Amino acid sequence: MKGYVLEQIEPSKFVLQMGPHHPATHGVLKLFLELEGERVARCRPEVGYLHRGIEKLAETKTYPQVVPLTDRLDYIASMINNVGYCVAVERLLGIEPPPRAKFLRTMVCELSRISNHLLWLATHALDIGAMTVFLYCFREREQILWFLEEICGARLTFSYPRIGGVRIDVEEKTLEKIDRFIDGFFQKIDEYEGLLTENRIWIARTRGVGVINPEDAIAYGLTGPSLRGSGINYDVRKHFPYDAYSEVDFEVPVGKHGDTYDRYLCRVQEMRQSAKIVKQCIQKMPEGSILAENAIELDLPPSGKKKLHPEGWSTGAFISFLKEKEPLLPEGEIYSAVEGAKGELGFFIISDGSGRPYRVRIRVPSFIHISAIPKLAEGQFLADVVAIIGTLDIVMGEADK
Amino acid sequence: MKQLLKKILLIDLIKGLLITLRTIFTQPVTIRYPKQKREIAPGFRGRHALVRDPETGKERCVACLRCARVCPSQCIYIGYKEDETSGRRVLTKYEIEAFRCVYCGYCVEVCPVNAIVLTEFYEYAAYDKEENYFTKEKLLQNWDEFLSLYKHQEYINKFWYLRGIERIRLPYEKRFPTPIRIKKEG
Repeated sequence: MKGYVLEQIEPSKFVLQMGPHHPATHGVLKLFLELEGERVARCRPEVGYLHRGIEKLAETKTYPQVVPLTDRLDYIASMINNVGYCVAVERLLGIEPPPRAKFLRTMVCELSRISNHLLWLATHALDIGAMTVFLYCFREREQILWFLEEICGARLTFSYPRIGGVRIDVEEKTLEKIDRFIDGFFQKIDEYEGLLTENRIWIARTRGVGVINPEDAIAYGLTGPSLRGSGINYDVRKHFPYDAYSEVDFEVPVGKHGDTYDRYLCRVQEMRQSAKIVKQCIQKMPEGSILAENAIELDLPPSGKKKLHPEGWSTGAFISFLKEKEPLLPEGEIYSAVEGAKGELGFFIISDGSGRPYRVRIRVPSFIHISAIPKLAEGQFLADVVAIIGTLDIVMGEADK
Repeated sequence: MKQLLKKILLIDLIKGLLITLRTIFTQPVTIRYPKQKREIAPGFRGRHALVRDPETGKERCVACLRCARVCPSQCIYIGYKEDETSGRRVLTKYEIEAFRCVYCGYCVEVCPVNAIVLTEFYEYAAYDKEENYFTKEKLLQNWDEFLSLYKHQEYINKFWYLRGIERIRLPYEKRFPTPIRIKKEG
């Protein structure tokens, strides 16, 4: 057999285009996967299928009118987006909401966070193959949506907070209902955990999948439960408290190994902590007003200025008002972040005093998390890519803005 | 050793199966939608309507244009002319493009005379695009349709009254909640 030289066969690369209509990509994310056998050699995410230009649109609207736009960012926990925007504008304009408004906001935010984590757990488990958890989670999520509907009249696009407080007070009987629900909710979380936490199939699919060490997690800009799963204790609610978070007692669950399983445990623990916060908010709920005294009106310009124009505020009057160059609102710029359901949700707003934001830049966690997919998916099996997309908790409405 | 025994005896799987077994004996939480309907919370932001004043039988709108100005998606079109003798504005056109509406409820909140409302009616998907372009007549008709399906005796939208906000901040008509009494025929 001498004289024959076997040619080294290079493992051929197979390019697979996953998405944008793949049910496991949680929206319209497209992944170019270069496969070597069944392992992922390279991965390139493509975003932009759901771009609606929210940042640019916000420049054409007055400050209160931007609130419904932020609903459409992360449409699973839109309450947190609303609150994040309102907190940013309040800090910019120097408005301090009254305590009842702060507690109400904290409560609805945490309810929203629970509903987000429930939906995450449901779809993540469904992607990996656990059908029952999906149905159980949606059972509780429906109840939370029902409470939010009672509070503000909408199930997903709430627009509940407003600059300087909240729009409408919550009735006492709704608070009692939520309190009763939270009492039983801890047991429901035990139910999900009983199905998953010790389950050998779940562990086989999640442990050691999509590992990211703390240094890389920080370098990639991960925030929220995705970062805390790697063992870094960073939570905007704890470190830069806003609303009533400084007055409630809660812990920040932190993982160890930075894999999918730890991130799962983190989020489940976070649900427990959120439920605790909701309970404390209901107990500590102060009485009083829900709107700050110097809060801006829904229909800018503020009512004080209206007296200048006895003929009323037609469009022409508004234009002539702008020509006077008298600033309607304080000028300045601010970056303000809140802990979104997915991670740090930041709003950078420049005000030029015209009543409309000069520029709004939104730091969305989903977009930044997508940039970590190639790192997490490197060398993993193709089937685990689904788990990796799920574990980062991506919503494309937020990533593409 | 204990771990191994747990693994061989399938404890983890049996634990999960017991949970699912328990739910067999509970009531189903689902409802059979088209036949069985969910109760809608008061103040749900559904289909638009112009309130028909029970006294005059006409719309309440005074054409102040606040709703058109506050609307984030600018889907409200209003036309008016001024009455020669009294100087009051008379509404000639009131149109809402429901496809562009984002259902934020700002219009209901700023309306000084409680003329517009987002009713709790939500089943209005249509085959024809024209059907969800609401003109003034269609909006009044929406109101009648909503009231005919409404079960209670009195109606008040919670975005008219705005609980928890100081009364002084609200327009005069919104300070005192005056529910609309519904006269049922027969």
